[in-house]
Amino acid sequence: MSAVVKVVEKKAIPSDAIMLYGLPDVGLVGLIATSYIISELDFPEIAYVDSDLLPPVVVLHNGLPHAPLRIYGGKNLIATISEMPVSEAALYPVMRTLVDWGRSKKVRMVISMGGMPVQNRQDIKEPKVFGAASNKDLVDFLHKKKLNILEQGYMVGPQALTMRFCAEKNIPAIALLAQSFYNYPDPEAAAAVIREVTKIADIKVDVSDLLDKGEEIRLRARDIMKRTQRELTQMKKSQEYDLPYVM
Amino acid sequence: MSTRRKRRSIFEIIREHVEELEAFADELIESALVERPSWDLQSCCLEPLCSVFVSTDEVIVTADLPNIDPQNIKVEAVGEDLIEITAKMKRKVHFEDFGITHRQGEFSAFRCQTRIPMPVNIKQMKTQFKRGILEVHLPRRKDYRIRVE
Repeated sequence: MSAVVKVVEKKAIPSDAIMLYGLPDVGLVGLIATSYIISELDFPEIAYVDSDLLPPVVVLHNGLPHAPLRIYGGKNLIATISEMPVSEAALYPVMRTLVDWGRSKKVRMVISMGGMPVQNRQDIKEPKVFGAASNKDLVDFLHKKKLNILEQGYMVGPQALTMRFCAEKNIPAIALLAQSFYNYPDPEAAAAVIREVTKIADIKVDVSDLLDKGEEIRLRARDIMKRTQRELTQMKKSQEYDLPYVM
Repeated sequence: MSTRRKRRSIFEIIREHVEELEAFADELIESALVERPSWDLQSCCLEPLCSVFVSTDEVIVTADLPNIDPQNIKVEAVGEDLIEITAKMKRKVHFEDFGITHRQGEFSAFRCQTRIPMPVNIKQMKTQFKRGILEVHLPRRKDYRIRVE
């Protein structure tokens, strides 16, 4: 199945890098955070994902066509974003291919960023960030970084598969999830996640511009949020609210 | 020749009902799938992201309203089960602001209509605006109570 998805490389790919994932998910937290990091660090596009499983969409930027699912990179960082939600049907092969590709590029760690929907988000001034990891050493590492740990519960969607495939392939992986709105773009939650990423990935990113442009981002992100919401319903994202049975 | 109508069998009646239900379901799916833009040039309005949440006591409608001053939000009841949210923007937004140069037009407000999925006391509607999100609280109508023996 994985053969129908391929990563097309356009430039040299950094090796021994940290790979960031920011695919559309709740509150578009990962997408907003990753796009901001790419823009702040001025990373070029180094690869893109091609597959018949993805919709026939091309995104025009400055009059030139780009694949919606793209990979950017710099010195010690690779960042994956998608300008459209990845459907449930395409998610397995796409995530498997991305993880396999990262492994072939000898990534030293995968960090996937996202949101954790909370009903009282309007009342939260500074969203908390929770972490989950693919192995025990990384959980200890997150403890040392004073991150709240996601001890029990369900993860659904791109991050769930990233975690699963990375654990399978023995690639160290961390998921960082900020308290966020479920179906409204949440730049504040994205800023909270970036602050934690900078502690782990050894990069410097000032989030003040992201916070200043929060209203503009919410305005621009309405349509992709709406499409993402439909996909989240399809993949039963609301299962993340469920209480786990087995302790 | 007898003009008496032939009685329909129970199976025919069921089949007719099933067909009606299927047609209704198709109609619903079609209406849900028809794609339309989130903007309307005629009214110069953008459609905000909206959600409806039903709790035991109330129906809560929320809308994401960036670029808005709370005093410029209007929430109106349009009948018993429909509300309309209109909010004038602080500054007008143009297609160019989104990097789009092949369309012309500007938007000065958000507007949407939301259907309320169950009976509410629409006159007791309350609103609040926090962190750019409008919340409309509509207490649910409780016309009857079932006594537990």
